[in-house]
Parts: sequence; structure tokens; C-alpha cells
Amino acid sequence: MAEGLKEELQEEDTQKGKFMTFQTGKEYFGISISYVNEIISMQPITAMPEVEDYIKGLINLRGKIIPVIDVRARFKMEPIEYNDRTCIIVINVKTTMIGLIVEKIAEVDTIEEDDIVPPPSLGKKDKEHNKYVYGLAKTGNTVKLLLDPEKLIRDEDLELLEEMQEEE
Amino acid sequence: MDNAISEKEKNMAEEFNVDGMLDMFLYESSQLLENLESIILEKQDAECFDDNDINEIFRIMHTIKGSSGIMMYENITKVTHKLEDVFYYLRESQPDNVPHMELVEHVLAVSDFVNGELEKIREGSSPDGKEDKILKDLDSFLKRLKGEIKEQGIRLPRENKHEEPSQFYIAPMASDESHFYRIIIHYRNDTQMSNIRAYSATYALKDVAEDLLYSPEDIISNEESADVILAEGFYMLLQTKAGKEEILQLISSTEAETTDIDDITAEEFGRGLVEVAQGSSDDKPIVIDLGEEKTEEGKKKDEPVVPGDYVVKSKETGKGKTLAKNQPKKQTIISVNVEKMDSLMDMIGELVIAQAVVLQNPDLKVPGLDLTNFQKAAGQLSKITTDLQEVIMSLRMMPLTNVFQKMRRIVFDVSRKLGKDIELEVIGENTEVDKNIIEHVSDPLMHLVRNSVDHGIEENAEDRIALGKPAKGKITLEAKNEGGKVYISVKDDGKGLNKQKLYDKASSNGLIGDKDITEFEDSEIFRFITLPGFSTKEQVTEYSGRGVGMDVVVKDIQAIGGRLDIASKEGNGSEMTLVIPLTLAIINGIVVQVGGSAFVIETASVKEFIRLGEDSVVQEPDGEEYIVIRGDCYPFVRLSDKYHIDNAIDKIDEGIVVVVEHEGKQICILIDKLLQEQEIVVKPIPSYIKKVQGLSGCTQLGDGSIALILDVAGLVESEERR
Repeated sequence: MAEGLKEELQEEDTQKGKFMTFQTGKEYFGISISYVNEIISMQPITAMPEVEDYIKGLINLRGKIIPVIDVRARFKMEPIEYNDRTCIIVINVKTTMIGLIVEKIAEVDTIEEDDIVPPPSLGKKDKEHNKYVYGLAKTGNTVKLLLDPEKLIRDEDLELLEEMQEEE
Repeated sequence: MDNAISEKEKNMAEEFNVDGMLDMFLYESSQLLENLESIILEKQDAECFDDNDINEIFRIMHTIKGSSGIMMYENITKVTHKLEDVFYYLRESQPDNVPHMELVEHVLAVSDFVNGELEKIREGSSPDGKEDKILKDLDSFLKRLKGEIKEQGIRLPRENKHEEPSQFYIAPMASDESHFYRIIIHYRNDTQMSNIRAYSATYALKDVAEDLLYSPEDIISNEESADVILAEGFYMLLQTKAGKEEILQLISSTEAETTDIDDITAEEFGRGLVEVAQGSSDDKPIVIDLGEEKTEEGKKKDEPVVPGDYVVKSKETGKGKTLAKNQPKKQTIISVNVEKMDSLMDMIGELVIAQAVVLQNPDLKVPGLDLTNFQKAAGQLSKITTDLQEVIMSLRMMPLTNVFQKMRRIVFDVSRKLGKDIELEVIGENTEVDKNIIEHVSDPLMHLVRNSVDHGIEENAEDRIALGKPAKGKITLEAKNEGGKVYISVKDDGKGLNKQKLYDKASSNGLIGDKDITEFEDSEIFRFITLPGFSTKEQVTEYSGRGVGMDVVVKDIQAIGGRLDIASKEGNGSEMTLVIPLTLAIINGIVVQVGGSAFVIETASVKEFIRLGEDSVVQEPDGEEYIVIRGDCYPFVRLSDKYHIDNAIDKIDEGIVVVVEHEGKQICILIDKLLQEQEIVVKPIPSYIKKVQGLSGCTQLGDGSIALILDVAGLVESEERR
């Protein structure tokens, strides 16, 4: 028991400050590696009717059926064609498994906490973006936008709906 | 084995807090309680318990007492011990005029108490229930029993003493002034229960002992150790500050022939008993022959009760039986974590897909390949995976026995409280249903049974007799498995439903508009009782009549894809039937294609497939479409429109029309083509995606692709609402 805990802590430690970075459009994004389950190549996606357009549908991950969302579409960017560099990052957020379709994986990067700065808020226009980005990290020549997966997969409408249900 | 016992026991004591042990305790105890209830309820109407039952109840109480003692749940120990006392009396004295009903109530009270405490433990809180009242009740009950026995002049057996678990009393303390002794006691050959004598010797030493080893070790749990002790003597190694005389005084016994106490060194002590008691019984296999033991016990039954040794002896026999009886049981049934089963099921799903990938591999399509052997092997592989799937499915099936057990209890409780005399007949309790479904059946069934007892059966036996019915009410609980569905019915021979009353109530509550009673079919009127906020019972009783109930029942049952059928004849009784699917996890489905998407329609809900010409479609000015088949008009759904699917066929004469039915209402769906019919493993749509009207789940097909399962009930409903 105690040992398991220790191991867990150690694992946590080795994962600390490591980010899976990927590129979508011109921008680089980072997501804490502790959320990442695995990276798989593009899969045939079964479309779901009547869902938001950024939810591309369902994939079959070795018997588990998980939804996939297109990160570009999530940020309301122009969609692009999927090619053989397109990947699905399977993340696990609070027991919810979700696939993120990204243009291409960059690398696993160590980012010191000191290098992370909160995103500047530039008024209302930038709001859409900033909701999911909790920090900016400057490594090398690029600035990476660090994503908060919990916010990323949360849907505003859904939240509203849940709140309403709770009130009931 | 001969390592310091105290050490071993200390470790055991530490392990007592481990979760695994707690799980085991909870599991075993609740199993035992279920057994107990089934015995009690089976015999509730009998005059008295027979010997077997008394023994069994005694054994159950004894086991729970023992294990709760080990787990240090004192109140459970006390209560079970007290009930054990009662049954001990019943067993030994066999009094004639035991108030059976009262006894049953006492047993149920204890069972409830222990169940409640177990529940608390399960939830992680400490069992803090107050046992005083039950103890007092049992005490006075026991005293009364004894009183009656005394009056009859029958000799009383000795009190059934609660023996402290032997494991705890020896506390090892190292000390320089300690002496080490080897003690060998030989008992006279005619000594009865020499193992108990030996035990009392060790018990006597508990105050002076710093450490104590003895051989044979299993003097309490194993009766046969008595013979070993008689033949070879009882060996003890003692570490103590006390002198020889003191020890001799403590353990002296009239039965002991010789008692030798020798000094030994600490090293000798450390080596344990191996050398000291060569040829001791420890390594001998202990054979417990159940059959023999039973006859032995049978014989003992006939012997007159003699106070003294026999009392203890018979108790030990009980223990021996426990050992022998439990072992084979444990090996045939194991409890498995449901999560493990689910992951096994997922993996088998993967296996099936992997197999499809191999067997339909494009590499095999190279022309000119000789695949004869490959095909043979492939056939074999497919067979095994199919079998494997069947086995895992059967693992999830559980008999309804436990659920029905609960119903017995409810009928018993409610009928007694309401003062109605009701007999419950149970048929087909071994019917197997998927585990997930069982969990959902229990509550609705409980409502139905309560309703039958409370509303169904007449208040007074006179009313029944006036109608030519037997005074005793009868409720029949029946389960059967038919055509992939399970039917569970609750039938009573009581008042039945009064159609006029139902109609009046429904219309006064404004539930049905202003239609006349003649416009409704019988079944429709009966269905009123399932409407929310409907209850004809004027007075709310403790058990039912609050007007919540039937609508909840229907909701619960619909949630697992089932339905409730109601049949009734006024004066003759009513029958409520739950029709539920055998399993939630697997349905028989037809895979169809619409555009690029695959959908699954449950086979049972499909009425027919039909090819129609364009002229069968009727379009209203507002765009609403209907299909006319053989003169009947059905609502028409185009999945391609509803779900915005591209490339789907939209000309009716090119596609296929599927007529689906839900609860008597039919709609037509247009599809491109039929793919196959197969067993479908239902998986929920990930919760991240909002519920989509008309889709109830998804599944993976043989080639690994995903198909969406159409929710026929939802589709029909949404058509209705338009």
C-alpha cells in the first residue's frame, strides 16, 4: 500500500513539468502529460448525429468506444484535411476518455513552472480562446499555449444544463 | 508450524484490520443471513423448526458470532450469541411448546439488526447499533422457555458458555527473570474431551504465561486432537516468571494422570515443540468424514441429555461439522469483482475484432493462394471465440432467488402488520437474468408485492369467504423465461381492480380529459394506475397508497427496456407482469445501412421489411409524411433527414421500409439496405456526448466499426409528440 503510494508519487514526479506538445495551424499547444493516455494514428470515425460540430464522432479504441473532438474546430479555426500526420491524442480527464484530433504531434517538452505565464486578456474578442488556455510557455523559439483539458472537454451548454438539473 | 504461536497470533491480530478480511466477513455474514432468512421464511407457517433447522440456525449464529468476535464488532457478537443460546436450548432440551411465531420474530429481529450493522460497516462507519433491547427481549424469551421447561420437570442442560476466542490471551513479554518449562500432561485413558481439558489448562496459564506453545495446536477446532492427546499426551512450552508449584497448582486436574514439568533453556524453547513432541499429530493429515460424522451426531441426538461433558462435546461437534460442510462449498463458488468481468468482456470483444481482422485480412485475397488449411484453422478459431462469448455471457447471469427471497420477507412483514393471512407461492425462482437487470428489478417488484398485499387481498377474511374464496389470501410470484424475455408476475386472488373507480379517479384528477369510460379498453383503464399522482386508496398506509409507486415502477422497468402488463378481474384478483429483457448487455439486432452509417434495430421490435413504391407515401402540406401499407397509415421517418446523413437513398422504391413497433404503436423507417442480423453487445454512448433522441447506445461490429443502436421507443415517442 505504502509502496504503491510512493511509486505513484515518483511517477507523478517524473511527469511533473512535462508537456505533450502538438501543432495545429501555426500555433503550438501543450497539454500536461499526466492527462495523456496514448497517441494513436487516425481512425475511421463514426459520425454522431445532432452533436456540436467539433465533436467528430466515435472511435473504437480496442473495444472501448470513445468520442473524438477536433481541436481546430473546438477553437473555431478553419478545418483542414486529415492526412497521415494527423493523430489522435487520447486523454483521460476525470475518468472521461476523449480523443483529440491534432494536426501533428511535436514532442514531449519539459517546461519549468517559472516559464509559464498566465495568458494576457485582451478584452472580449480573445475570450473564446483563453478559456481553454491557462498559461503561455516560452521554450526555444516558440510560444506554446498550455491547455486545460478539463475546460477543453467541458461544454458550456452542458454546464448550463447540469446547473439547471441541479436546481431542479 | 511450531514457530512461536504467540508470534503467529500477533500477526493475525494485525491482519484483522486488513480490508480483504473485512470483505470476506461482510460477504460471508450476509450469505449466512440470507440462508437464515430462507430457513425462517420457509418454516414460518410450520408448527416448529425441525432438528435440522435448529442446528443450522445455531450454526449460522455461531459462525457469525465467531467471525464478528474476531472482527471486534461487539454488539453483533452479543446479539448472535444470545440467539445462539436460545437455539442451544431448543436443541438440547427440545421443549414442546415453543411459541413458534414469537421465535420467528426474534430471529428476524436479530437478522435485521445484524444486517443493519453490516450495512453500516460496509459504508465505512462503525457498527454502533444498540443491542440492549434485542438482548433483553431474547433474555426474557429464553427465561420464559426455561420456566416452562422447569415446570415440566425436565433437567436443564448446562449454560452454553461463550468461549473467548483462544487466540488473544497470550501476550508475549520477554523478561530476564523468566523460566522456561516443558509441561507434559497425560490424561487418564477414559477422559472425555481431553482436548477441552487441555484447553482449560492453557487457559489457566494465561495469567502467568509470557509465552506459551502447545501441541497439538488445534485443540479447540479439531475434535480428533482429543485422541492424540490421550495417546501421546499434551505438550506445552511455557515461558513464565512463576514457579513450578504455582504452575502445577494452576493446571492440576482430577483427570490428569501425570503432569510433568521440566526446566528447559531459552534455546530449547526457541526451537519450539518439534523435538519435544516428536511424532505429534501436527503433520498427520486430518480426515473429516462428513457422512460418518452425521450419523454420529444422529446417534447423539437419541442419547438422553446428560449434564456435564456432553454439553461441551456436542458443541464441538457443531464446530467440526462447520469445517467439513463449508469447505467443498467454498471451492465451487467464488465471488468475482464485476469490474474484472467487465474487462474480460471488453477483451473478448477485442478478441473477436482482432479475429475478424486476421480472417478477413486483405493479404489473404492475393489470387492463387491455397487457403485450405488456413480456413480449417480459422473455422476452429471462430468456434472457440463464439463459445468464449457465450461463457462470459452466462457468467453474468444470476438466478432471481435472492430477489424472491426479499419478497417473501416483505409478504411476511406486511401481511402480519396488516393482520392479513396470506400465503405466498413462489414459482421459477431459479430463472436466470443478467446481473445488471436484477439490480433494477428488485425495487419495482417490491412495490408490486406490497401493493398486492396491501390493496389486492381483502381486509377481512369474512369478505373473502362471502365471495366463496378460501379465507387465506394467496399471492403467486412467478418467473419464467420465454422467447428472450423474462416474465415476472405478481398475482393475487384478492379484490381485483374496479374499472369504474379507476375511471372516476382518473377523470377527477384530470388525467384523461373528458372521454367516456366506454371509449377505453380494459387494459387502458388498468393502465391509469401507472399515471403519476394516481392512487385510489383513500387512506395512505405505511406501505403504499401515496400515489407514488406504480408510475415509478413503470419508469424503472422502462429504463431497462421492459414493460408492465396489467390484467385483472374484479373480485377474482389481479396479475401484474413485468416483461424484461434477459440481458441488457446483448440484444438481437438487425444491422442496417443508411448512407455511410450503420444502425442497429432490435430484432424484437421489427414488424416487417417491405419494398414500396413512391405512391405509398402521402405528404401533408406541412411536409409531414405518412406511409400507407395495406390500407393502414403509419408515420414515416427518414433517418437521413433526421440525422443529416449524406448519400442516403431518399427514393422509397430504391430503399427498404422497416416497420417497427413499440407498445402497439408502429412507425416506418426508410433504410438503404440490410446488412445482417447478429447478436449485438450494447455499449452506452459516451456520457460526454449529449443524449440524442432516438439513439439508445452503440456497438462495435465484427469489422471493428461502430454502429448506433436505434431506440425504437424513443423514435415512436418523438413521432407521437409531433
